[in-house]
Amino acid sequence: MNESDGKRRLPRYDEAALAYEHPLYKTLLAAPGLSVSVAPLDLLLSWGTMNSLWVFPMATSCCGIELMSAAASRVDLDRMGTIVRATPRQADVMVVAGTITVKMAPRVKLLWDQMPEPKWCIAMGSCAISGDFYRELYSVVPGIDTFLPVDVYIPGCPPNPEALMHGLLRLQEKVKLARAGQLVAKEYPPNRLDITKPSIARLSDPARDPALSAAQEKSAGEATATDESDERGGGNASAVEPFAAETTSTDVEALLRELGVTEFPKDGAPIVPVEQHVTLARRLRAMNYRIFVHVVATHFPEKTGAKAAPERFEVAYALRSVGSGSKIASWRLSLATGQAAPTLVGVFAGADWQEREQFDLVGVRFDGHPDLRRIMMPGNWEGHPLRKDYPADKACTPWR
Amino acid sequence: MNGLVHGAVYGGVIASVLLTTIAFGIWFERKFAGRMQSRLGPTIVGPFGLLQSVADVVKLLQKEDIVPRDADRPLFDLAPVLAALFSLGVAAVVPFSPTIIASDLDVGVLYILAVGGLMVIPTFMAGWASNNKFALIGGMRAIAQSVSYGVPLVLAVLVPVILSGTLSVSGIVTYQANHHWFLTWPVFIGVPAFAIYYMAMLAESNRIPFDIPEAESELVAGVTTEYTGAKFTLFYMAEYVHTLVGSAVGAALFLGGWDGPFAPGLHWMVLKTLVLFTVVYWVRWSLLRLRSDQLMVLCWKWLTPIGVLLVLGAAAWVQFVPGGFQ
Ligand code: SF4
Repeated sequence: MNESDGKRRLPRYDEAALAYEHPLYKTLLAAPGLSVSVAPLDLLLSWGTMNSLWVFPMATSCCGIELMSAAASRVDLDRMGTIVRATPRQADVMVVAGTITVKMAPRVKLLWDQMPEPKWCIAMGSCAISGDFYRELYSVVPGIDTFLPVDVYIPGCPPNPEALMHGLLRLQEKVKLARAGQLVAKEYPPNRLDITKPSIARLSDPARDPALSAAQEKSAGEATATDESDERGGGNASAVEPFAAETTSTDVEALLRELGVTEFPKDGAPIVPVEQHVTLARRLRAMNYRIFVHVVATHFPEKTGAKAAPERFEVAYALRSVGSGSKIASWRLSLATGQAAPTLVGVFAGADWQEREQFDLVGVRFDGHPDLRRIMMPGNWEGHPLRKDYPADKACTPWR
Repeated sequence: MNGLVHGAVYGGVIASVLLTTIAFGIWFERKFAGRMQSRLGPTIVGPFGLLQSVADVVKLLQKEDIVPRDADRPLFDLAPVLAALFSLGVAAVVPFSPTIIASDLDVGVLYILAVGGLMVIPTFMAGWASNNKFALIGGMRAIAQSVSYGVPLVLAVLVPVILSGTLSVSGIVTYQANHHWFLTWPVFIGVPAFAIYYMAMLAESNRIPFDIPEAESELVAGVTTEYTGAKFTLFYMAEYVHTLVGSAVGAALFLGGWDGPFAPGLHWMVLKTLVLFTVVYWVRWSLLRLRSDQLMVLCWKWLTPIGVLLVLGAAAWVQFVPGGFQ
């Protein structure tokens, strides 16, 4: 720690790597006379470590495919003794290959903490390095070096397997130099096109505010602890009535007219009164429209001026009929602020998660849904990211 | 006293040779697997990558030793040691040549079954002590598996015992040297018995298609999920030693051990053992893993009844066929 300039500096990771020593090795150093033997021993130890870098694959997206092919016949990481271990306890290098989301970051950190020292981290691909073109997205961590000490950056989108091999060779060099007591120059993330200023100081940045690290630790802890997305909440799906008996009619337009729809716009699905929504779904299901394709909610913010309009939400549904000559039936609901849509879970089981997703991202409530909780974002997330008024770049402090 | 000295000297030599063989056995497997997948396998560390296992061990010994907070510390530490001990222990009664044998027990076969069967204890111990759900599931699967393959294993091993009329492993090999290898005669008993032995041996040493306790795609790394560094090394080696010794036992019981044309001796035993050892890896890199229930079906519905029939057949052979038993 360098306190002289008044700012606490995070340790450079290379020093931290040097700091870990096996207890036996420390005893050897301390014993008088024996420490002479350390020089040849060092050579042996670094030779062993260098040539047996076992990888923990933190592969979350497309880069992971390149990681896999690096182990296959063309490049064959096994040539240099690198194999993939499924458990962090037996791995030396964490290769983060892919986009890391805010929900994923605490898990990555957790797995990293499970790895035994000495350990290294490789950021593979621009997503891991800086968040790539997703970096301004509300849910993406802008570079894993905001919370993990990265040793080698491998730029590319995706980097090809040869580049990964090169990265590992570079890591070998680093291991060797570090063991020989030479401080390795800090790796800096590759230059980005400076479209936007980096919004967060990296772990290696001397100007980084220590409070930020603390806040990230805390937020990671909370996101892991309070995220209950695996536990089922209250509610009861079976309380919803079963759907109506089959009918043979196939004329969707006639059905819509019967339910009081008068306008059939050319450029979109008809808007159905909210009261008729569930009836419509039931009747359609009875008419062989059995596949729940999607529900998509859209937020229309309040407009002022010539075309003034209040804030509203539109929820679009689509069903597909089964069998040959499959057809699509779609309609929309128009909701005012705070108005809820009746759930379709009782009619289509597949509506359950899809409605949860729309609730999570847009904030539309679904009346009677048995288990309306967040599904994509961590449980303690604030706000609904796909609303137009959602501040995208301030989305998840302190990750950004 | 003489026996003790003999056992200590020969045991020490055999154990160290086995462990060295294992280092190259692992290299060999990686090369072999590489060639099967049109890769090269280790090439960079040492000539032909021969020093790969040495580098791995040097690396593993340097790693931090992590013990989970809620682990059962004594059991957690003991399990890898026991695993290494039991897997090497079986080698004590295996005759590598007419004279190279650590201890020529009268009940050698019984000893092999007992010590080999004990292997499941450290496995479950590790699963239990780690306090990790994957490790525990792995341990429980190991128990379920051992109950299933244990019976056919014993039945298959009984066949050479009945045919030769002795429980001593070197006695069985001597009998085969004087008459026929059990694999070649009586062939309709020897071949299926050997097949059952081989399958049960694969299951005992947790090799694909029976590596159910380790099942990487389901259980992370099974019972060894929580083990790091030196302890993991012990487990890793124990597994290979177990496979190698299991191959040696198979060679001794069914393939005539050190017996062979020209000059009977150590080289024949080593050759047969290594061939069986290679087939293990051939199988390992070709087949998929069975599910637990499929293993049980295989062991209980097929191998066990066939094993019983083989034991009866062997007994009938000895009793009724002239020259069947000398
Ligand atoms: S860097 Fe490119 S290839 Fe890699 S995960 Fe990101 S988007 Fe996919």
